[in-house]
Amino acid sequence: MESLAVVLLAVFAGGYLVLAGADIGVGMLLPWLGRDQRERRVVIASFAPFFLGNEVWLVASAGLVAGAFPGLEHRLLEELYPVAVVLLVGWVVRDMGLWLRGRVDAAGWRSVCDGAVVAGSWALGLAWASLLGSVLGGGGLNAGSVLGLPLVVLFAWHGAGFARLRLAGELAARTERGRGRYGVSALVLVVALVVAGSRLPWSEVVAEGGGLSLTAVAAVVLLPLLAASQALVWRTFWGRVDSPSYL
Amino acid sequence: MDPLVLARMQFALTAGSHFLFVALTLGLATLVALMQTRATLSGSAVHARMTRFWGQLYVVNYAVGIVTGLVMEFQFGLNWAGMSRMTGGVFGAPLALETIGAFFVESTFLGLWIFGWDRLNRWVHLALIWVVTLTAYLSAYFVLVANGWLQRPVGYEMRDGAARLTDAGALLGNPTAVLAFGHVLFGGLLTAGFFMAGVSGYHLLRRTAEVEFFRRSMRIGLVTVIASVMPVVIVGGMQYQYLQPTKTGGGDAAAAVARFTARFGPDDYMPPGMAGVGEAVMEGLWSLMLLLAVVALVKVWWGRWLVRGRVFHVVMVCAVPLPYVAMLAGWVFREVGRQPWMVYGVLKTRDALSPGVGSGTIAVSFGVFTALFAVLVAVNAWLLARFARRGPDGAALGAAPPVAPSAPAVSASF
Repeated sequence: MESLAVVLLAVFAGGYLVLAGADIGVGMLLPWLGRDQRERRVVIASFAPFFLGNEVWLVASAGLVAGAFPGLEHRLLEELYPVAVVLLVGWVVRDMGLWLRGRVDAAGWRSVCDGAVVAGSWALGLAWASLLGSVLGGGGLNAGSVLGLPLVVLFAWHGAGFARLRLAGELAARTERGRGRYGVSALVLVVALVVAGSRLPWSEVVAEGGGLSLTAVAAVVLLPLLAASQALVWRTFWGRVDSPSYL
Repeated sequence: MDPLVLARMQFALTAGSHFLFVALTLGLATLVALMQTRATLSGSAVHARMTRFWGQLYVVNYAVGIVTGLVMEFQFGLNWAGMSRMTGGVFGAPLALETIGAFFVESTFLGLWIFGWDRLNRWVHLALIWVVTLTAYLSAYFVLVANGWLQRPVGYEMRDGAARLTDAGALLGNPTAVLAFGHVLFGGLLTAGFFMAGVSGYHLLRRTAEVEFFRRSMRIGLVTVIASVMPVVIVGGMQYQYLQPTKTGGGDAAAAVARFTARFGPDDYMPPGMAGVGEAVMEGLWSLMLLLAVVALVKVWWGRWLVRGRVFHVVMVCAVPLPYVAMLAGWVFREVGRQPWMVYGVLKTRDALSPGVGSGTIAVSFGVFTALFAVLVAVNAWLLARFARRGPDGAALGAAPPVAPSAPAVSASF
């Protein structure tokens, strides 16, 4: 049951890094990909229909950790408190920038929201890089949490690869310079996650008793349904975008 | 400052601001789903416009609900490590079920609903809002299972200083969770009913040209208020039989205090006075809402009566905050009333705090998140008011995206 839960967590966390990693990367590259406010709105439209369905992978990972590995949550978060706060604040600021940008038609409002999206995406990317680095370095705040920071370019590269597939015309031509390959960067992110995950002491943090089984069984049973709902999103919105969306 | 006080205040502010948005989300999603059903079945144009207008307000409200919820979920790991260490094996399970079995689907399908307007078959689009609504309720249920277990821990055993789940049925069927869910369900409908009636009252008061639109909206709002005002108090009252002895007071309380003192040493086991204040405020505001529901019951039969009556419109606008304040007061009664316990009779709040985190760290994170949430709540209250004021023509949801400038204008900007 413990190994099953580890595999499930890898699936959910991997899903988050690959799917949301792309929209974090596009957010980081927003100033370069979109040179005026209209262009930036189109760049945001490249991931707009997906971003709600992307971040749920992390929320589900956090839920899986709470249910199956309650010791891991405090081991990771408590020791990396400053990193976790940056991660959360970046996430909230970025989401609010995205949600609010299209709601008020004023240049100043859109500039503030664009700034929130870019700053939030960088904060989120750097926090993940630091977190991966510190796990690779043996856990806790260590040299790895600083040395890991350059991993943030992985997200930008991944975002460039995603934008290359989604944008059209002039904007698509601009993404070519990022030399992104969505499939390759996705693979690199998953490898980084698996290597980091193999360094965690799973059996020390696993839940005892029925809580673990309840969580793992529910996740296994629901996974096909969740995958189908995500596939529906991709099927509905896949294609190149050249006009703004609701965000 | 004492890290315990800071961590508790941070949780109260996060959960409180989260719940303000959750309550409206639950109720309004239901009403929007009903309006869209009517619009899809009958092809009625006014109901299609109502779906877009009220759906727009629902989406603006939902966005803040999400981000405050995220911070709440991660706060357990940040500030309350002592709780996950001792009771995480039980308490974590409903949180896992909530994220994987409810929130994941709710959020994915909401994205489809928002961005899939006019792209998807109308029956598929209608099915989406119903899935979103039902998973929103499922989500609320699982969160209340987690909270209900803190109020009345069941279905577990202690082994080697940690709680293990022995009976999932007892955990999921805990009456403090199931009844609280019913209470929240009707509370959410009451909130949405007053919200719709208040916004409609504002437009009718201003002699809007959209008379039919807001007369129908006012009617839906009032019927919702009338239908939920009694159930909310009945389910609420049913919870009293499961109240902790220290909260009810009297002889049971003295016995419980003696028992706790024998097992855990002397402490102040009676809940702070603030819990009783919360209870009184909740009950007082409910009486006021009942009075308004009676007035609504007279008004709702005649369409003309809903359009006229300026005093009535002003009163409905002023009544919008009533369910919000009542619900926050209810949470104060429930949560403050559990003190000094985190998990009643098992783990004290003081021992649930993360041991390694100093008061400086908590103070910084408290300051950052409080400032962030204050901005979020203010901006979103302003946006809700703005969209509500603009009326049905201001809704961007489901509208065609703004017309793109012609191609030469774009290339000229390079």
